[in-house]
Amino acid sequence: MSRASRRQYHARLRSALDNRFLGQTLARFQNRYAQARQAAMQGVDFEALSREVVEVKDAALPRLEELYGQFKAAAQAAGAKVHLAADAEQARQIIADIAARAGVKSIVKSKSMTSEEIHLNAYLESQGLEVVETDLGEWIIQLRNEAPSHMVAPAIHLSCSEVAELFCGVTGQEQDPEDIASLVEVARQQLRRKMLSADMGISGANFAIAETGTLATVTNEGNARLVTTLPRVHVALLGLDKLVGDLDSALKILRILPRSAAGQLISSYVTWVTGAVECAAAPSGAKELHIVFLDNGRLALSQDPVFAEALRCVRCGSCANVCPIWGKVGGHTYGHVYIGAIGLVLTYFYHGVEAARELAKNCLNCQACKVNCPSGIDLPRLIKGVAGRLNQQEGAPLKNQLMRQVLTNRRLFHFLLRRAYLAQKPLAHGERLIRHLPSFFTGEHGFRSLPVVAASPLRDRWPSIAPPLAEPKLKVAFFGGCLNDFVYPEQGEALLELVRGKDIQLDFAAEQTCCGLPAAMASEEETAREVARQNIAALDAENHDHVLTLCASCASHLKHAYPRLLADDPAWRLRAEALAAKVIDCASFLQDVVGLAALPEGGPKAAYHAPCHLCRGLDVHRAPRHLLAEAGLEYLSYEDEEVCCGFGGSFSLDFPELSAAILARKLDQVEATGAEMLVTDCPGCVLQLEGGLDQRGSSIKVRHLAQALAEAQRRAKD
Amino acid sequence: MDDLIALFTQQARAVSATVEPVADLAAAFDYAARLTTGQGGCLAAPGWGEGETESLAEACAGAGVELVTSGLRQEVGRFTVGLTRAQYGVAETGTLVLDSADEQVRLASMLSEAHVAVLPLAKVRQDMFALEEELAAILSASPGYMAFITGPSRTADIEMVLTLGAHGPRQLHVLLLEDAS
Repeated sequence: MSRASRRQYHARLRSALDNRFLGQTLARFQNRYAQARQAAMQGVDFEALSREVVEVKDAALPRLEELYGQFKAAAQAAGAKVHLAADAEQARQIIADIAARAGVKSIVKSKSMTSEEIHLNAYLESQGLEVVETDLGEWIIQLRNEAPSHMVAPAIHLSCSEVAELFCGVTGQEQDPEDIASLVEVARQQLRRKMLSADMGISGANFAIAETGTLATVTNEGNARLVTTLPRVHVALLGLDKLVGDLDSALKILRILPRSAAGQLISSYVTWVTGAVECAAAPSGAKELHIVFLDNGRLALSQDPVFAEALRCVRCGSCANVCPIWGKVGGHTYGHVYIGAIGLVLTYFYHGVEAARELAKNCLNCQACKVNCPSGIDLPRLIKGVAGRLNQQEGAPLKNQLMRQVLTNRRLFHFLLRRAYLAQKPLAHGERLIRHLPSFFTGEHGFRSLPVVAASPLRDRWPSIAPPLAEPKLKVAFFGGCLNDFVYPEQGEALLELVRGKDIQLDFAAEQTCCGLPAAMASEEETAREVARQNIAALDAENHDHVLTLCASCASHLKHAYPRLLADDPAWRLRAEALAAKVIDCASFLQDVVGLAALPEGGPKAAYHAPCHLCRGLDVHRAPRHLLAEAGLEYLSYEDEEVCCGFGGSFSLDFPELSAAILARKLDQVEATGAEMLVTDCPGCVLQLEGGLDQRGSSIKVRHLAQALAEAQRRAKD
Repeated sequence: MDDLIALFTQQARAVSATVEPVADLAAAFDYAARLTTGQGGCLAAPGWGEGETESLAEACAGAGVELVTSGLRQEVGRFTVGLTRAQYGVAETGTLVLDSADEQVRLASMLSEAHVAVLPLAKVRQDMFALEEELAAILSASPGYMAFITGPSRTADIEMVLTLGAHGPRQLHVLLLEDAS
């Protein structure tokens, strides 16, 4: 079963990747979004605003039932009827009953993801009702019988000419395939007629204010105002998670929602409806207003110690806008009803195991969504959490079982790594890279050459290249990490070259092992905890000034994941925090601790790739670029410097087609700069970038930052 | 005060609203009547006081414009310009706050091709939070309907290209009223 669903999912990914127009449209969308968002955040303290949203939501979520009661009393006093639906089926039934009792024949809708969640349209149509979406994007996909590919821009996967063809069918008239304004005009005219004659309007809501029983909707087109004004009956359908206490809470969310959603300071229309307002079309002269709250797992989720924060989501859709995977395949393959990173989480809770199984694995852990999320949701962690639950329910893959046995046993793990050198030897033909992979690795995996495991790991070389100093001014615990230690020991050697003569002692503790990130990525929390304890003991942070690693991924994991993994372990929590406080990345160490002399200009032209776990994981942006320029390299920038290279550890093995596509976009940009060298500071990124460039036959050399700087010093001495 | 008005004007214009100062209501009515002349000749202006409606009617008569003030559901498609009075302005975002509990106000401001809103200068505040008490007062009316309006109706649903006039007005004119007496 699971193998078949995996095959089907990869086939869908492949077909999305092969759709060239889709790729271009999504790339354009993501670029435009990035620019618009940056402009909208000018002069705004995003983190402060985001913290306020977190406070508002975290205050509301534990007391949703209480807020619901308060809302209901206020709204009913204002003439509304308030309903609570336990699940999708009940919600559909409540709405169909309202329509039947009110003698409704035709319905117009403004955009509601909650109605998508319960597949409302299909049900109402099966009851003989005419249902017309009035949001332009929703109408387009309704006409095509598709689901939204984005929560805010539902038809963003389609081109203008595809829409023209569709509207040609609707109007019976030719449409200019390049004239977007005239297509919008077609929708305006067609839908105006529908809205004027409809019996019922169905809307969603962005907020429900408990204190006053008010619903607020945020739109740009203005269709929500018409849908809530013109028909005699109004049904609002919304999740319980939209409840907030008061107007102030709603305004705090409103301040950031349009900025995050579309790079707008505010949307064109924010509509606040309280109760049964005046309506000349209704027999009584007042609107028949029904407010249907949907639970569908939300109340249980709001009490979940790990996943409750998913309910902070304000549906801005920005986790898709910045996601390299969504940007390659779009929402139809990167989500179920809810798309993007939040969709990967919510699908499991709202639509079940079957819908969630393959999706939940499809995350690079690049953190782009997390740093962009206005509600401060740790999306990558929740996605791993869902995958972990699926493993518990359905049995973990073989790789997880191996990981549990091998990773927690350092001697066994390192024995296997050393053996790998011998196993690879015949494939490498004496070179550093394996270009022609053995047959089980061909096909989708052939997009990059793989590095050879080093003949002797860094740990074996350390005693001779880093002898103890008599009176060091600083003592630094060096954490190798598997790639640096066993595959790229030359990166560590370059670092030692840079600190030579600086009175800094670097200790390499032999008992250190894998940082545990691969286990966390595979949702093996227990394994991740066990190796965390081993490393904390080995590194002995208490007796060192810094804990340094050349791997940004390891650094970020040591710093952020260790204290969280061991938060409930009284014996280890404090030690984890002590270690976390001393973790430093290569660039910050060289710039702020070591201090390198400036070198004359004239070095190679170098582009830089910012590792996800450095720029987002550790918030380090300037130091590596500054060091390159100071060392005389000619630093050349390009647009996607801080976008993931597509490695993601085992992600690149599980989803080679996506990994290759994301890498290709990056390498295209790097090659376009005319750089001779591509510098980065994470061995995982080096593996991906070097392997990809080698397969392209490119002459661009890939260097770890430490290597690039050591080479620059050597050049200056010559 | 001048800074607030300058910011409001800049932000409203940035989202394609037209912003013009008017000395008094008479000037605002003239503006609306003149605009309607060039746009079909029928102006919807619900929710104004008796005296105000009289002087508006004069302005319309002078410009050869038909004026409708109620029963707007029956006039849909005939009126092309809607004239309303905004309660507040928000400088930070160039936003109008329009109490729309009166259904006629909703129809005039949504089903017209151009929406003209008169905003007294003294009612402009820095941001939503500076208006919180006033907004809460509007919300406490039950039932009630309050609208924040920022620029004309827009969509970017096709290829993320911005197009004005999706479902609501294609134009928004904000008349900044100096003398609100």
